[in-house]
Amino acid sequence: MISQRKRLSSGLSVTSKVFVRSRNGKALKIVREHYLRNDIPCYSEACNKCHEIIKPDANGELPKFILSKDPNKLKDGSKHYIILDTNIILHTIDLLENIQCFYDVIIPQTVLEEVKNRSIPIYQRLRGLVKSEDKRFVVFHNEFNESTYINRLKNESINDRNDRAIRKVASWYNTHLNDNNNSHENIKIILLCNDKDNRLKANSEGINALSLLEYIDLLPNGEDLRDLIPADSNTFNDFNKDNETSFPEYYSDARIMAGIKNGTLYQGILNISQYNFLQGTVQVPAFKKPLLIIGSKNLNRAFNSDSVIVELLPKDKWREPSYTIIEETSLGADDNAEDADSIGDDDISGTNGVVSDKERLLLAQEAINATNAQSEERRLQPTAKIVGITRRSWRYYVGQIAPTSVIGEDSGNSSKSCFVILMDKLLPKIRIRTRKSKEYLGQRIVISVDSWPSNSRYPNGHFVRSLGEIESAEAETEALLLEHDVEYRPFAKNVLDCLPIEGDNWVVPDLKQTDDPQLKKRIDLRDKLVCSIDPPNCVDIDDALHAKRLSNGNYEVGVHIADVTHFVKPNTALDQEGASRGTSVYLVDKRIDMLPMLLGTNLCSLKPYVDRFAFSVIWELDEDANIINVNFMKSVIKSREAFSYERAQLRIDDKSQTDELTDSMRVLLKLSKKLKQQRLDAGALNLASPEVKVHMDSETSDPNEVEIKKLLETNSLVEEFMLLANISVARKIYDAYPQTAMLRRHAPPPATNFELLNEMLNARKPGMSISLESSKALADSLDRCEDPNDSYFNTLLRIMSTRCMMAAEYFPSGSFGYPEFKHYGLAVDIYTHFTSPIRRYCDVVAHRQLAGAIGYENLDLSHRDKNKMELIVKNINRRHRNAQFAGRASIEYYVGQVMRNNESVHEGYVIKCFNNGIVVLVPKFGIEGLIKLELLGDVNTADYNEDKFELKFTDLNGNKRIVGVFDKVLVDVKSVKDEISGKRKAQLLLK
Amino acid sequence: MSRMELYSPEGLRIDGRRWNELRRFESRINTHPNSCDGSSYVEQGNTKVICMVQGPMEPSSRSQADSAGATIEVNLSVASFSTFERKKRSKSEKRMVEMKATLERTFQQSVMCHLYPRTLISIDIHVLAQDGGLLASMANAVTLALIDAGVAMYDYVSCISVGLHDQTPLLDLNGLEEQDISTLTIGVIGKTEKLALLMLEDKMPLDHLESTLGIAIAATHRIRDLMDDEVRKHGNLRSSKLAKN
Repeated sequence: MISQRKRLSSGLSVTSKVFVRSRNGKALKIVREHYLRNDIPCYSEACNKCHEIIKPDANGELPKFILSKDPNKLKDGSKHYIILDTNIILHTIDLLENIQCFYDVIIPQTVLEEVKNRSIPIYQRLRGLVKSEDKRFVVFHNEFNESTYINRLKNESINDRNDRAIRKVASWYNTHLNDNNNSHENIKIILLCNDKDNRLKANSEGINALSLLEYIDLLPNGEDLRDLIPADSNTFNDFNKDNETSFPEYYSDARIMAGIKNGTLYQGILNISQYNFLQGTVQVPAFKKPLLIIGSKNLNRAFNSDSVIVELLPKDKWREPSYTIIEETSLGADDNAEDADSIGDDDISGTNGVVSDKERLLLAQEAINATNAQSEERRLQPTAKIVGITRRSWRYYVGQIAPTSVIGEDSGNSSKSCFVILMDKLLPKIRIRTRKSKEYLGQRIVISVDSWPSNSRYPNGHFVRSLGEIESAEAETEALLLEHDVEYRPFAKNVLDCLPIEGDNWVVPDLKQTDDPQLKKRIDLRDKLVCSIDPPNCVDIDDALHAKRLSNGNYEVGVHIADVTHFVKPNTALDQEGASRGTSVYLVDKRIDMLPMLLGTNLCSLKPYVDRFAFSVIWELDEDANIINVNFMKSVIKSREAFSYERAQLRIDDKSQTDELTDSMRVLLKLSKKLKQQRLDAGALNLASPEVKVHMDSETSDPNEVEIKKLLETNSLVEEFMLLANISVARKIYDAYPQTAMLRRHAPPPATNFELLNEMLNARKPGMSISLESSKALADSLDRCEDPNDSYFNTLLRIMSTRCMMAAEYFPSGSFGYPEFKHYGLAVDIYTHFTSPIRRYCDVVAHRQLAGAIGYENLDLSHRDKNKMELIVKNINRRHRNAQFAGRASIEYYVGQVMRNNESVHEGYVIKCFNNGIVVLVPKFGIEGLIKLELLGDVNTADYNEDKFELKFTDLNGNKRIVGVFDKVLVDVKSVKDEISGKRKAQLLLK
Repeated sequence: MSRMELYSPEGLRIDGRRWNELRRFESRINTHPNSCDGSSYVEQGNTKVICMVQGPMEPSSRSQADSAGATIEVNLSVASFSTFERKKRSKSEKRMVEMKATLERTFQQSVMCHLYPRTLISIDIHVLAQDGGLLASMANAVTLALIDAGVAMYDYVSCISVGLHDQTPLLDLNGLEEQDISTLTIGVIGKTEKLALLMLEDKMPLDHLESTLGIAIAATHRIRDLMDDEVRKHGNLRSSKLAKN
């Protein structure tokens, strides 16, 4: 394919790219223009020529030269730049992000495009590296550069051509930097490449080409870095290829595509069962019930939450979900990581199988159970097997090295395989190779998964870093942040640069003497008696309230929200950081902010006695709290007082206080009660969660007490007005932006979610049931389910119903029809989040849209574009969920710490029954725990009655016992450390 | 399609141009001297258009005659091989009808129609290859063909398409870019800032319209110069031939 270059003007010439693409089985010849130019700089500070050729972009900014004049040195003292090859980036992106190595890196465009075609996430991480500039990564557009563009030769494969293009970049840099720039010491150009052929060719062309290992060895700190090199197929020895026990291969892409098209294969997200790691479900739109996937062979190397392709199994293999608890730790804990992959060993045939004998035994038992219960036709669920994985959910995982997998005698410096048990017990063990397994024993470590070949029982991974001793508060906190994918690193410099330069001394400018047209649009509300009511010691106050009786007998009520968007302008680094964090994360002992401290706790925080910018919603409400009129405005306010819930309550209750502020609070309270009643009448749900609060000892900051959260009237005062503000704002922005308004919906739960709960109620508490026709019906039926003998039963039922609910989600208004905007839990037709912009990004968007809707400023494009809104929403939904999980995990950890000191007997409730164990919830601590039959009594006497949800067994003292769902039981609560996973958890024992 | 990066952080587009660079522009006039009164051929990147003008002439039917000025009629035909995938297009396709009407309206105003009452000027456009900026190339081709036919015009109508990617206006979009971002096509009369044609099929935010139009107008002036060069070159060739005779 010879194409001629045609010179257009000085420095620009055009050639054409011709390639053949297949579409629908037809070959298609595609011709594209390809412009070559000479104004692409080398981005090196050491270069003195490129400064003359660069051109500005649309904003008039010139490209920055990033590669250092004085780059890092190798062991032998020579300065160097690195050029990366595609396979290096794909496999070692973690290492590239490591701050100990890889500075001054050149990524040829050819490589960048190959990376993008292979993996979008890695491409994005690479782009992130280039953008942040602190590791001095640059992208060199060699394909557009006159002097580095090459034509594909006859009979040359595309890969060979690309390799040649990369080598061309290396030799170009070599001559460009070193031949003409005499003023500087030579800078070595190193081409990093794991392909032997390519290296040979490069070396013959006079290019310095190294493999990753060779390069790391040349670094001064190479020794520490060696463990971080990820596993590739060569690291772990190959297995017996013809072993009967290898996993089935995945189907080819073409077969999968065809299968999905003609409806024989289905796509969905895999959910591994909480209690049985060998059983997963995939929800597929085509079926009402989720498809069951049982056994590791059918699961076929999929991880929890991977998106997978499944194929149905024949009907005779359909089963009912297992009622048995299986944890990975109980299986194959003694496997030997080294043995499992060495061919030479003779005795491996037994243990090496993908399906271990223990697992077979369990399956056999299952099968017997299943065949016994022939009558249970209706419970049968379709089963399926996984035949392909479309997207891996692989990320960093936190775990610890399994002590049993570390080989006794330390034989020098060679690296050994060992298993890492992950904190997430739904995931399998990962095999890594390290030379420091002894050292890492007893530490929380971060690992990354590289591959899972079909002939290996366990996935291969590599060590990333160590977090510290297990059970140290820092390591555990960091671990749970990592596990929930929470960005917790301090804010980068370019983010902090977006803050006002005055810092803490920033004050509200004078409204009267200003030329800023926006400032002139602000309304001065400093004369209103505004106060804020928050939890004690709250530093990020994002809402404040005021109320006033009007002359016509109605009330003026104002909700004032911190005006975060005044400081967080769209498309700044600050905005992007906020958008990617999505929400602040609250842990027991720590808060991970969405926005920098300065904003959250000072400039945006509506602190008392000082002027602050706010976004105000002001209603006129009548005596019955009906909205007569609503107004939105950007304003300046001055809060008179910041109350805690308790102090506000005291002040309202204190009859002797008759000042205006207290009176207005009483008005607010009165109106809020009416609002709440209206809401409940409309069918708002009053659900419960077993949430608790951990008290910390103020001196040692050790947790010492657990308390169930209690609610005061003032809590709901604030809440009601925030709900009202959110609803009013939602209507307004939906009105202004019918396609892209940021809203929040809560779908009604599908009836199948409540099936099991209703079945349990039917069997255990005759006469009770939960109706689902509407949220009102649900609320009423929950109210009716009272057990006169047990006051907690109702709360328990509410907790269990909460778990059957759908999760509320953010969405841009264009994605659903109006009837589906409904917020089921609150029983309103439209809802958004507006009132906490300091800690939620949704609110930031809502603020901007509201500002646009009232004509205060133009709305940024990204909030008017449906596709971009979809992206934002997807991210904040995920972040929101992760933040909740992280918060819960943190509480769980601290509750564990509290219990360590006080072992005691408490009341608990059975919420689930299996044929070899029960799950008990202890309201006092808000924890639930699994009690396995081994700990209850004799396993062989157990008899599980599926119809009655009861388990009969003989306990350790020889007494016959029956335990069923909803039963109140006494349990001995103590905290034990699981030696294998290193996780401290509550151990419950039936009394 | 979302996999494509239309504009890299380094400021380069998928085909290697910067934001404000035109594609290769080549034009010829008087390409079909024997079969029509005026003809031209325009290439903008890989978009290739032939245009032929007949007239001013007697309209075939009386109804077409307008005593106030000439009637301009555009006939559009798009070759089935003009895109990568062969596709038969009918003339009544909505997009085609709209482009035809747009061109007729544009040239009705920029040709001095009052000089040719009761006549018909018939313009035939053949699209040989499409790669974005089709309307712009067609308008440029029509301008050149009309000049070749010696029809009196107020000035050149030079035309270009421009798109907006995030905040950056991108000039002269190619086919790939046109699929992903909204495109504005403008035609400018001579070296003024008067618009004879403006077409936007998608939407464009108002706050960026001004900068987008600014760069587009600058580009049309450049196109005008390129077309003018070609006309003068051809003129010189003609006059030298005349001199020889």
